[in-house]
Amino acid sequence: MANTPTVYITASDQHRNGKTLLARLLADYLLLDGRDPFMIDTDAPEGPLRSFFPGRTALADFAAMPGQMKLFDTIIASPGRDYVVDLPARHTEGFFKAAEELGFFDELKKIGFRIIVFYVVDRHAASLRAAKEIQKFPNIDLFVPVENQHVGSYWPKTEGDLVIPALPPKLAIAISDKRFSLRSFVLGDVQQLPAEFQTELSNFLFEVLSNLSNLEPLVTLQNLK
Amino acid sequence: MKPTLILVGADKGGVGKTTISRALLDYFARKNVLTRAFDTENPRGSLRRFYPTMTEVIDLGHVADQMKVLDTMESANVPVTVVDFKAGNLSYALDLFERIGVLEAARNGVFNLGLMHVVGPSIASLDEIGEIAKYLQGVSYVVARNSINETNFFEWDEATHRKYFSAIPKAQEINLPKLNEMAYEQVDVAGVTFKDFIDNKSADGTAGKFSFVLRGYVRKWCSEIDAEFARVQMLADIISGGRAPGHN
Repeated sequence: MANTPTVYITASDQHRNGKTLLARLLADYLLLDGRDPFMIDTDAPEGPLRSFFPGRTALADFAAMPGQMKLFDTIIASPGRDYVVDLPARHTEGFFKAAEELGFFDELKKIGFRIIVFYVVDRHAASLRAAKEIQKFPNIDLFVPVENQHVGSYWPKTEGDLVIPALPPKLAIAISDKRFSLRSFVLGDVQQLPAEFQTELSNFLFEVLSNLSNLEPLVTLQNLK
Repeated sequence: MKPTLILVGADKGGVGKTTISRALLDYFARKNVLTRAFDTENPRGSLRRFYPTMTEVIDLGHVADQMKVLDTMESANVPVTVVDFKAGNLSYALDLFERIGVLEAARNGVFNLGLMHVVGPSIASLDEIGEIAKYLQGVSYVVARNSINETNFFEWDEATHRKYFSAIPKAQEINLPKLNEMAYEQVDVAGVTFKDFIDNKSADGTAGKFSFVLRGYVRKWCSEIDAEFARVQMLADIISGGRAPGHN
């Protein structure tokens, strides 16, 4: 089951609540787990996720038709591997609308994908409402509400949610450098991170990565239901 | 059931007339209604490119070609005949049909006659309706308002519109949604029907390699058009086989 190719979607209807950090953690988790994920960053032209994973990230401007084709057609044309689709707030609604109109999730299921949606819910009432709407979407194998403790969340505490602990601002800035690899850090390369932050980052990564690995049995459970 | 002759026309080019003919032929195909088509865009015949087996290119100015359409209405044993008029040819063609007795035959009930008048978003389109009104006794007249460009506007002057429209018995209006340009171009390049494009089938019947996204947008567009066509009484009658409700 764990080897079933999966499309992970990281989304939020609000800005600046840690969504790209989440996509990055997810991608690093998959790489550490020995998977071969391909990332699709729809936040053109900047491509924040791509800057961390050059070479395995496509930049697709979802605002234009060629961008939509790049996203949907790439995944459908090359099944059998994992994908991480990072949606900035401005494309989240459009993505789910297009996915519904085009029957994208149906098609993904047909060609053997699982679909896991991570949705960062923050302290906006609109964010909670939008998350509840997406949760109802058919064909999603697992919907994971994400709380970034740095911004807080209105999502009621549940078993399946994912918590991203708050980081001290200086550490957050240090790891946001695109040359800093979280995966390398886990593998023992501290990359000039000041000693006082190393334990903190280790604890942070331990918590998030173990939470991510706990999701696997949840997907199975969800499907049994 | 009486055969139906559907004329598709526009008084100017570029309003999506042939697209509507194609959508109409696709619609009948999906509803399992046997159809034949004539393309008056002699000699090119863009409709024939998409429907090579059921389309014949004709020149309405030639008596022999007029006969091909009209004298075979009953003998062809096909319930629907679609004639795609050459752009800018509508008044001329209707006048011609009046002179050679086609409109009279329709009025006398020899066959059903429908006109699908494709209009663009300009005021001039309204005047076209006024110009052809005199030919439309006994004709099922459908104004198809086509959103051909992104601006999607229709500056209809309501008063003028009512004036023209009330003069025409059996008139109906439908609104045609816009198909994404990229999707449209890809269908055109592939030279297939909208239905085959959606089903990912090439012109030679083999599996196509069309974009999932573009296929999805064509499918959505077709279902929107279907909903508009479903409102047209003439088309509903054809699909129900001309039976009155409650009869077998």
